[in-house]
Amino acid sequence: MKKEENKLSQKEFEKYKAKYQALLRFTIVFFSFGFFFPGFFLISLFLFILMIKTVPPEVRTRIIAEMEKSQQKTKTSRKENHLEPVLANQAQNNRLVFVEREPKKISVYDSYLESLRTEGPRIEKRQRYLHIALNSTLKEARKIISKIPTRKNIILEVGTPLIKTYGEDAISQIKYWTEGLYILADAKTSDLAEREVKMAKDAGASGITCLGTAPIETIDAFLESCEKYKIDSFLDMMNIENPLLVLKKLKKIPKVVMLHRGVDETEKNKEKVIPYYQIKQIKGSYNTLIAVAGGDTEREIQSAIFNDADIVVLWKDFYKYSPKTPERITKLLKKINKRESSLEIKTSYSLEYSGL
Amino acid sequence: MELSSKKKYLQIAFNRNLDEVISMVEQLPCSPNIILEAGTPFVKKYGINGISTIKETRENICQTKAYIVADLKTMDRGEREVKEAKKAGASAVTCLGTAPIETIDAFLESCEKYKIDGAIDMLGVKFPFEVLQKLKKMPKIIILHLGVDERRNNREKIIPYHQINRIKGTYGKVLIAIAGGENPKDVLRAFFNDADIAIIWEKIYQNPKRIKEITLEFLKNIKK
Repeated sequence: MKKEENKLSQKEFEKYKAKYQALLRFTIVFFSFGFFFPGFFLISLFLFILMIKTVPPEVRTRIIAEMEKSQQKTKTSRKENHLEPVLANQAQNNRLVFVEREPKKISVYDSYLESLRTEGPRIEKRQRYLHIALNSTLKEARKIISKIPTRKNIILEVGTPLIKTYGEDAISQIKYWTEGLYILADAKTSDLAEREVKMAKDAGASGITCLGTAPIETIDAFLESCEKYKIDSFLDMMNIENPLLVLKKLKKIPKVVMLHRGVDETEKNKEKVIPYYQIKQIKGSYNTLIAVAGGDTEREIQSAIFNDADIVVLWKDFYKYSPKTPERITKLLKKINKRESSLEIKTSYSLEYSGL
Repeated sequence: MELSSKKKYLQIAFNRNLDEVISMVEQLPCSPNIILEAGTPFVKKYGINGISTIKETRENICQTKAYIVADLKTMDRGEREVKEAKKAGASAVTCLGTAPIETIDAFLESCEKYKIDGAIDMLGVKFPFEVLQKLKKMPKIIILHLGVDERRNNREKIIPYHQINRIKGTYGKVLIAIAGGENPKDVLRAFFNDADIAIIWEKIYQNPKRIKEITLEFLKNIKK
């Protein structure tokens, strides 16, 4: 018998299989009808017997084994799909982009311009931010950017040295590299406010800084044009003993007040301390966010957070790229906001695959 | 080219687009009394490349060494910015008088190191003496500056001409530059009050095509 069964041709096996599967389905259907009309139980029983009688037992075991195999296959294939959704998505996106772009002949430069035209995010209240200042060179900046996750609570600052050496291109280049991140242009405006605000906006920045030591007229013009061009205003209180005296004279209030201890000050004068007590003073009388800059040590970060600063500015770890940088960023993000995983920005592609 | 305290200079600041600035520099008369300045918005827009293009075009046309002021308005990282300006070929850099004293000191020190003239811009400083007293070294140039936004929005503020002689009396060797006067009369007044450099930009910014006439008109006030 066994030999005969084994010698069954593929065609006959397929026939048996089709019959078996059809009868199995019918029995199941009629069995379930049987719950409403008991007569159907009899029919399903009859079908079941027919199924057993028509298909020989050896063939039946072979069919069952095959079915189990196919089921396992579908399960594993589903798992694989779960493993690489990003890759799959990316491939799809790439294909879509490719298909869309080819007929229009959009060059890299055009996509660069497109990235400038897209509006960046604005600063939100009730959110704590990690503010990373890039100051060395564009090459170094690019390396660091490739390791920065796209999160809502990260502010990326294009430092004054970068702006002064590369011009506004530094801002637009960095914006192009980081899709969807908040870009702050540290222009340190001290005169001709409207022009500089317009320049930063055109370059694609979402925020711009102005010096608190600038003439009051300049700061007023700065705040006004920030409102006009819809860009966030940061007032840098470097070398100002009492920021409240400056804020008092202004017609409008800046979105963010930065308490700032300069690099030269920090390095050459160890007596200067960042006045953390001013955070609550300013917050108590004005409706602004407070950023603390110049304290890069672990202790200073801790006390900035403890004193209710909204934005913690860091630059030392991000001046030059080192293999420890990504680890440092994740650590800092955890420290600054415990629920940070909910803040991921949904972009069309993730930075790790963008070829940086 | 080095500045001497016996001469008077007219400093012209450029703030337009790069193409326009190049054509403006080409039209400028080749007088040894003219100093060129790359304005802050210009530097922030084009970076140090802007400074070196101004220098190159000027030197190509006049065939002499040009004196270029990089108006960086340094507020922090004194050494870094001086280094960048030197790299671009500038002959002088500016630093803000409102910057922390440590920054100004670092700035002046690195100016000496890189052999470039240091200028301190007293924009927004009410009493320049208070700043100058604290410094370890003296800058080569002190700029008494009335900001553009200040001048437009507040008519009461005046250029502090009276400070020129006071500063020169106490610190001797410094050159004083006056910024914020835009008429030939203002420039004349500055020179009359013993300033060494008069900085202009707005008139030229408004009519870039008439740059030659305007500078010649200003140059009349300078004794050679």
